Amino acid sequence: MKEGRRRLLGAFVAAVVSGLGSALAALAAAFAAPLRARDGGGAWRRAAALTDLTAGVPYAATVHVATDDGWRRARVPQTVFLIWDGQTSVRALSATCTHLGCNVTFDEETKRFACPCHGGYYDPTGRVLAGPPPSPLATLEARADAERDEVTVRL
Amino acid sequence: MHAEPGRAGLMRRLFDWLHARTGYRSGVSHLLDEPLPPGTGWWFTLGSALLFLIVVQLVTGAVLTLYYAPTPDHAWESVRFIAREARLGWLVRGLHYFGASAIVIVAALHLLRVVAFGSYKPPRELTWLTGVALLLLLLAFALTGYLLPWDQRAYWATVVTLNIAALTPGVGSLLASLARGGAEVGALTLTRWYSAHVILLPTLLVTLIVFHLYLMRRHGISGPVRERTGERRPFFPYQAARDAIVALVLAAVLVSLALWGMPELEPPADPADATYVPRPEWYFLGLFQLLKFFPGRWEVVGAVVIPGIALAALVLLPWLDRSGGREPRGRRGILAAATLGLLMVGALTVAGARDSGRGRAVVGPDGEPVWTPRQIAGSVWVARAGCDRCHAEAGMADPPGSRPLVRPTAWLASHVVDPEVIAPGLRPPPRANAREVEAMVAYVIRLSRGDAPPPFSDAVRDAAQIFARHCVGCHRLDGDGGGQEDEDGPDLSRIGARHGLATLRRWIADPESVDPDATMPSFDSKLTPSELDTIASYLAARK
Repeated sequence: MKEGRRRLLGAFVAAVVSGLGSALAALAAAFAAPLRARDGGGAWRRAAALTDLTAGVPYAATVHVATDDGWRRARVPQTVFLIWDGQTSVRALSATCTHLGCNVTFDEETKRFACPCHGGYYDPTGRVLAGPPPSPLATLEARADAERDEVTVRL
Repeated sequence: MHAEPGRAGLMRRLFDWLHARTGYRSGVSHLLDEPLPPGTGWWFTLGSALLFLIVVQLVTGAVLTLYYAPTPDHAWESVRFIAREARLGWLVRGLHYFGASAIVIVAALHLLRVVAFGSYKPPRELTWLTGVALLLLLLAFALTGYLLPWDQRAYWATVVTLNIAALTPGVGSLLASLARGGAEVGALTLTRWYSAHVILLPTLLVTLIVFHLYLMRRHGISGPVRERTGERRPFFPYQAARDAIVALVLAAVLVSLALWGMPELEPPADPADATYVPRPEWYFLGLFQLLKFFPGRWEVVGAVVIPGIALAALVLLPWLDRSGGREPRGRRGILAAATLGLLMVGALTVAGARDSGRGRAVVGPDGEPVWTPRQIAGSVWVARAGCDRCHAEAGMADPPGSRPLVRPTAWLASHVVDPEVIAPGLRPPPRANAREVEAMVAYVIRLSRGDAPPPFSDAVRDAAQIFARHCVGCHRLDGDGGGQEDEDGPDLSRIGARHGLATLRRWIADPESVDPDATMPSFDSKLTPSELDTIASYLAARK
């Protein structure tokens, strides 16, 4: 009888200790687990005035993108290359090299995009010419509005 | 806890192997099988309860550091992020927040139990002293932790605390500047207190707890005052079961409080806010109240001398009590003094809690703070100033009101007057005078707390602009405005109940025509006739 009570109490204590302990551990783990990034989906943002562009020459536009970085809301400037066909259509290329994420620049003389990090080269349409990049520069949705004299990109 | 005989297999062999190399079974047995004096009951669960609460604080505190940023620019936003966005952040923060209060209560009960049972008597003087040191450490935790959210409450409580520390004779200013880190309470204070809260104090706490428990085991639990006959039973599972029940109850209380009682974060710390009434956490309300009884140069008595004497009495208790045994009858003086001390602390705390702050916002019939003329005028002037050229959804900066403001009002005012300083070359500064700037800042702050302005009639918007330009310096209305007290004009919130439209208009245009002793300047030349009509009818309608 006495031994039975001792065993029962022992089991109760063990259950409470392991229960509270694992609840606390689970709470800490859930809290510490990385948060899923919220999908912003992108918004149409003004990138440049249409009259700033020269047909066929990539134009480096800076677009400010608001992103949630934990408690911080950062306005990150991003470079987008705008290539106007001289008519009504504008093509937008991301400046991010597809190799390791450096920013490419456009070399006016050789008429190609060059990545300063590992010697990746792209032609003015974004196709890989040479070097390690595995894929072409990403194309972004872009709209040209002659009436309002602006180019917007979805970013 | 032990490997049961008969439970066959791998686990048993693993534990045998471990025991052969560590001897852990004798350690576990030493911890769990301590025979306790008969009659050791519920009163003796308070120490374990404290230990449980401290473990909860250590675990929740450790993970809170994953998201907390100890800088004035980000502390408030990071705490807000923890409370609103982080997974189960409300629970982790709630447990840590209420755990702090629970620790103060349980520590006080533990101390009272030790006093009531005379457990501090020889040979347990050092156990008592380490206990007093632990109590001070816990209060230091409470104090340093209070600053970390960097909201108004945190900031101002810390300013007051440091000013109290500065009153200590001799070393006061050194103490205060050591705790402050810089010339003012700011970034250097925050990192200092954070460092103390998460590194220095926990290290000291764990070390002292180990020593306290070692001493407790060395001399054994004191047990009931009068020794009882009967069998000495081991700690596990009998007393451990009581401890487990208390831990369960405490856990349930903390979770319920986190679920239903969590206070909102106050607005971010603003050193320029002269209207905020600082209030400490409830367990410091007694000390706070004590200060009010000793104005002027006697303040040091309330701030340092009385708390110092109380602390000295606690430290010296085992030597102040010269009685032979633990019987309450022989310790009447000590018990009376302890009861008196307890009653005084309780009375001061209650008095402190009742002494509510003034200067709160005026609340409208819907329970929301009313929009003051300054805020209404600010909404007009912000719209006119072209802030939306940069502060737009896809613009260079966030739209006003889309995010809580963490900048102090002085920064906001200088940004409104001269955006070149913060964002050079982007746009010309809006034309605004000091009154207009104050109004625009008041509006933006209001907006950033998530309050969209209700639609106001043109008459109200026009009157609010006149009031915010010309009247707000001397007159209060809806809890906002007014200057130095001796120069103040009357509060105009209900002025329409006392004077009619014609009198008010005449008074504003030429005060001396109504009251020859009036000190208010004449506004006949400053306001157009239609402006005079507008403000007079607005005030006449305030009944």
